[in-house]
Amino acid sequence: MQTDVEFLLNGKKVTGAAEPRTHLADFIREDALASGTHIGCEQGVCGACTVFVDGRPTRSCITLAAACNGADIRTVEGFDTDPLMEAIRDSFKRHHGLQCGFCTPGMLTTAYDIIRRIPDADRETIRKELSGNLCRCTGYAGIVDAIEDVLKEAPAAALQPTERPRSAISATSAAPKAAEISDSKQAPSPETVIVADMALPAADSFETATVLRKTMHLSAGPEEAWRLISSPEAIVSCIPGATLSGPVTNGIANGACNVSAGPIKAQFRGTASITYLPETKSGQLLGRGKDGLSRSGLEGRLDFQLVPNDNASDINLEMRYRLNGPLSQFGRPALVEEIANGLLADIAQAIDATLSGNDATAGRTQPQRSLSGFRLLFNAFKGLIRRTLSTR
Amino acid sequence: MAGDTGTKERSNSGVGARQIRREDDRLLRGKGRFVADIKMSGMQELAFLRSPLAHARIKSITVPDALRDTVYLAADLTGVIGIRADSGLPGFRSSVQPILADTKVRHVGELIAACLSDTRAGAEDIAEEIQTEFDELPAVWDMTAAQSPDAPLIHENWDKNAFLETQTEVDFDGATADAAVVVNKTFRTARQCMAPIEGRGLVAVWDRTLEVLTLHSATQMPHIVRTGLAECLGLDHGQVRVISPDVGGGFGYKGILLAEEVCACYLAIKLDRPIRWIEDRREHLTAGANCREHFYDITGYAAADGTLLAVDCNALVDSGAYSSYPFSACLEAAQVTSILPGPYKMRGYRCSATSVTTNKPPILPFRGVARTGVCFAIELLLDAIARELSIAPEEIRARNLVTPQEMPFTNITNKYFDSGDYPEALRRAIEAIDLPSIRSEQKSQTGRERIGVGLSIFCEQGAHGTSVYHGWGIPMVPGFEQATARLTPDGGLELRVGVHSHGQGLETTLAQIAHERLGITIEKIKVVHGDTAYTPYSTGTWGSRCIVMAGGAVATACDALGQRIRNIAGHLLQSENDDVALEDGVARAGTASVSIEEVAKTWYLKPQLLPDGVDPRGLEATEGYKTVQDTGTFSYACHAVKVSVDLDLGHVKLLDYVIAEDAGTMINPMIVDGQVLGGAVQGIGTALFEEMPFSETGQPMASTLADYHLPVAADIPDIRIIHMETPSPLSYFGQKGIGESGAIGPPAAIANAVNDALSSLGAEVAQVPMTPERILAALDQAEKGDKA
Amino acid sequence: MKPVDFSYLNAMNLEQAENALAGQSCSIVSGNQSLGPMMNLRLARPGVLLDVSRVEELRRAEETDTEVRFGAAVTHAEIEDGTVPDPTGGWMRAAASNIAHRAVRNRGTIGGSLCHADPAADWVTVLPALSAQISIAGPDGVRKVDAIDFVVGPYATVLAPGEIVVSVAVPKPSAAARWGYWKFVRQVGEFSKASAAILDDPDTGRSRVIVGALGRQPLLIDKPDDVIAGRIDGKAALSHALPDMPACAVRMHAVAIDRAIEQMAGSPE
Repeated sequence: MQTDVEFLLNGKKVTGAAEPRTHLADFIREDALASGTHIGCEQGVCGACTVFVDGRPTRSCITLAAACNGADIRTVEGFDTDPLMEAIRDSFKRHHGLQCGFCTPGMLTTAYDIIRRIPDADRETIRKELSGNLCRCTGYAGIVDAIEDVLKEAPAAALQPTERPRSAISATSAAPKAAEISDSKQAPSPETVIVADMALPAADSFETATVLRKTMHLSAGPEEAWRLISSPEAIVSCIPGATLSGPVTNGIANGACNVSAGPIKAQFRGTASITYLPETKSGQLLGRGKDGLSRSGLEGRLDFQLVPNDNASDINLEMRYRLNGPLSQFGRPALVEEIANGLLADIAQAIDATLSGNDATAGRTQPQRSLSGFRLLFNAFKGLIRRTLSTR
Repeated sequence: MAGDTGTKERSNSGVGARQIRREDDRLLRGKGRFVADIKMSGMQELAFLRSPLAHARIKSITVPDALRDTVYLAADLTGVIGIRADSGLPGFRSSVQPILADTKVRHVGELIAACLSDTRAGAEDIAEEIQTEFDELPAVWDMTAAQSPDAPLIHENWDKNAFLETQTEVDFDGATADAAVVVNKTFRTARQCMAPIEGRGLVAVWDRTLEVLTLHSATQMPHIVRTGLAECLGLDHGQVRVISPDVGGGFGYKGILLAEEVCACYLAIKLDRPIRWIEDRREHLTAGANCREHFYDITGYAAADGTLLAVDCNALVDSGAYSSYPFSACLEAAQVTSILPGPYKMRGYRCSATSVTTNKPPILPFRGVARTGVCFAIELLLDAIARELSIAPEEIRARNLVTPQEMPFTNITNKYFDSGDYPEALRRAIEAIDLPSIRSEQKSQTGRERIGVGLSIFCEQGAHGTSVYHGWGIPMVPGFEQATARLTPDGGLELRVGVHSHGQGLETTLAQIAHERLGITIEKIKVVHGDTAYTPYSTGTWGSRCIVMAGGAVATACDALGQRIRNIAGHLLQSENDDVALEDGVARAGTASVSIEEVAKTWYLKPQLLPDGVDPRGLEATEGYKTVQDTGTFSYACHAVKVSVDLDLGHVKLLDYVIAEDAGTMINPMIVDGQVLGGAVQGIGTALFEEMPFSETGQPMASTLADYHLPVAADIPDIRIIHMETPSPLSYFGQKGIGESGAIGPPAAIANAVNDALSSLGAEVAQVPMTPERILAALDQAEKGDKA
Repeated sequence: MKPVDFSYLNAMNLEQAENALAGQSCSIVSGNQSLGPMMNLRLARPGVLLDVSRVEELRRAEETDTEVRFGAAVTHAEIEDGTVPDPTGGWMRAAASNIAHRAVRNRGTIGGSLCHADPAADWVTVLPALSAQISIAGPDGVRKVDAIDFVVGPYATVLAPGEIVVSVAVPKPSAAARWGYWKFVRQVGEFSKASAAILDDPDTGRSRVIVGALGRQPLLIDKPDDVIAGRIDGKAALSHALPDMPACAVRMHAVAIDRAIEQMAGSPE
């Protein structure tokens, strides 16, 4: 799948075909062969790839080449006759504003922008404005000095922001026919789930895992509630996003749990065992699954017990989780706090809704909240962070 | 000291000049050439399938038939051997790092399969199609837990999870008897990523005519990579050429032979196509989190006046899963035992250190190597003793520092401190930070923000050589450093060195040294480095050694060349060559002179004019250099920092930062400043921001730069540097290695400042980075302690 | 890492965008500053990417006597620079100027940030405090949602498949209104650990205290007037609203409320 790309690069027209996924930095470097733009993270953080798009500093690693059709792009190679950039370069030399030189193209772009946009910038402002560009060598001192020095008597900036182009090259603006569109590989739909038959984790292997507890009031009495809960199919149906790939035999179930958080989607396919202790109206769900595309794994244990409460009942839920692989490798504890809290409530609500004859999901006021598997996952991760902090 | 810079006026581009860097212009115009900039016809992009698990047996790896030609597994690498970097020290347990894992994986990110395509994206698409099945094993994620007898073994044939245990004990038993106080503390530093802005990367090409493999690699040590590569691939050295182009920062991260290099080179030969692999940030953060993680259980014994009597320490260093080539896994922990005493005198000392094996990426020495950790431990211990004795932090330091009168000084672990005035550095730092006014400011503070001041002082051994390293028995021991100085027919000078410059500015400072010795204008001096085909063998750029060792080698080679130039010039000037002086690009004898260009032309193109008995080796000299003795130069510094701590948020702000440092004779003060400042900001990262947390399943928990926090410009105050300049008696010009120094002091100084700010509340932090969560936890704990 | 491949559609006007949305399931993108990193990490794997950054109708900002209506594809930098009118007389400009970094603000958009619904994002907290109203176009026409109801969880909004945010209308506060927006970031541009946005506007009855960066949707605090006047302290208000919230999180967010109030009162930041 290719799309046409056409823009001005340092004053010269560049045209080419690229996969839509090609970001601007790659296109400039690999197709237009201008290697002065450096790639430092491809996560939009380090700033090494910053170039001017229509006169504005832009992260070229998170800007698609195809989105720049008709744009005027200027990279570090495109300033040889620019008096302001020459002054900046000279100042970087005098103030030792570079060592290895890898972050330098992005630094120059940002320095140019600071000087023309904030002519009265003081050192504190310079430092703040520079903070989107990482340098690992200089400790920033020489860069701040260099910019401050140029600001004393800055030549006029020849490059200024321009209107964004209103129209694009036609090829990208025309929608392809439906037949031409092939979806990227996504988590498969539940119907296509393959039986996983994964080895189950040991029930006692969660001693140190995160524990979440929740007690929910159910309108049904314990006997009635138990009838629902003691059906494995029914309890699986109360876990949002979970589906079985076949009948539950000997307490062993294979299936999948579709999970998503915003644009992130995953499908954990795996195996679970369900055991019941009718005398105490309690039981345990033990499972392990793997998301094939991200190679992330999730395993967990859910203990539940029904307790009479007047004519109704309470359900005590206790969950333990562990997550592995790329989906676990993020550090946003505040973000996952709430995701975790929502999960048990979702399950309990679904049980309650099923008991009271409502569709488990239709009764929800918040349509996008049904994908709680991802909450499990985030929760596990959050717990790990918290524990890491507390044990050190 | 062989140099004579003290006696004559310093040239404006020789030793001591703030010479503008010669590498800057190309880098400022986007004309550097980094490894990712290299593109070749027919080139294939390489992406790796890496282990998602920290510890597991591989059950199966299934490659779809359609992709079989684009995927390479361990079994496909015929004749390739794994990476082994043993130490000769008794008791060392040896690991072999597989190039591609096929039976077991021992850390997240370990290589499993190599996937090739025309584009990187395409190679990643292929990697996604490979199916893997693992039997997961419990992960050893914490170095203290790794020591437990029931911890799973990472290398099954070992008896425990440790590469090596080392002990040092000197006069310990008798030394503690008179102690007025005994203070015990535990300290911890986090695992970090070195995070050069350019990651690792390579382009491997096989020349089938010459039968030579050329590896372009972002490396700090091209010659060592060549040696290791030849071993792993079973090639002769003559069949391997390594080129290190412009490199976007190293800091130790690129001082290693990579499994990726071995794999890509094998494929380049097998397929006879250029292969490129460029490490991405996620690979760096998750598979390359490989430095700094120490644990100290340390006890100090002191007299009532603060005199340090003895230190007793049990240290652990998390060394990861394998021993990396050429630095063995035990290097860092073993150094802990020898350098923990720092710049202080003490009567007795005992230290044991263990290189613990864990399911994490193999440890590499990061700028400052073990020093950042030991400085943190000893400096926090000193402050704790001072608090116990109610004496000032500056006082306890002054009482125990080695004095200038005692220099040169052999310390308790037999380190030979070559020169310096440590107490003066302390005095100057205190004066510059204005300690008295901070103390009075502290008396009047009442709000939810507290001011603190902290000190750290340390010395740093650099450029140490054979006698220090051979005892480790590691694959690489430095010896003579060589340089070639070669006059070109147009009177230009070419310097060829085996070290590599990737930000240190050696293209400038080595030229300054040559200019100093030969008087050739700096514009006509070219420094050639980074190519094994052009340069003399060298162990490369590490250990704060280049300016001392390569600088000394360049000066020595230039002196030899100068002798030959003077010889020819003397003949042309009809003078004795002893009377010929080289300056400003000419050879002068009395009032007569001949340009060096003319001398060069004469040698190369007009041999009929040469004198009888001219040195037939011509105007090209390769000389080896060692320092007067190879115990290393000891640069030193005192860091003083003023902080504020927000008691509601646990947020630390750096208000002022002073470094009083001594790099001996400075070749280029601008570059010395740059090294110190850059290092200091990395140290600030260690102190406040940088941490790769691992989950208890061994997962690295920060896979983006939004999770792994590097210091940004706004985090840093204007750091002030105060230079002292005590020449080393050991080096050519009296210069000392300074490259790593800046990164050593900040964690200790900042932690001491934070603890100073919190002292009235009884709270104390003992772990970096000092995140808001940790500071708030310390405050909470202090509050609970009060109530109890 | 590079993204998985996808189809790319670039809409020039709303009609094109709506047609594209009607035809297939699309991920809508404008500046790509949040989705881009997720795609590069292959966490987000869109089949079709619909780029609306050049949609005429989404690029406008219209001012009336009572409000300013920002097109969804107006960038943070355009708000920061005052290229588009600021109904609050500078508060929005100030908030915009502290979003991420300038290079990100040059492409990132107000609508994109809202739809991405990162709980720690600035507009997700600020716009509910200003009683903004979101206009959403969908197969059944245009509907309007209060900003406080728009984000329903981490990365989750009320948007249904086929819907697209067209504009954000921000009412003008009264002349006597006061404002405070404070967020805790250790480093410039990072995701905030805690935040609070407070509008004190008794004349219009639109006083609001919003707490953000909770990991969940923004929290609307009860009895804002009492909180603003100090009759209810931040800690109590938070504990009342979210009784299960861990003490350390309560403390940090209570500080955010306190400091936003201080800022509103004119104290230095």
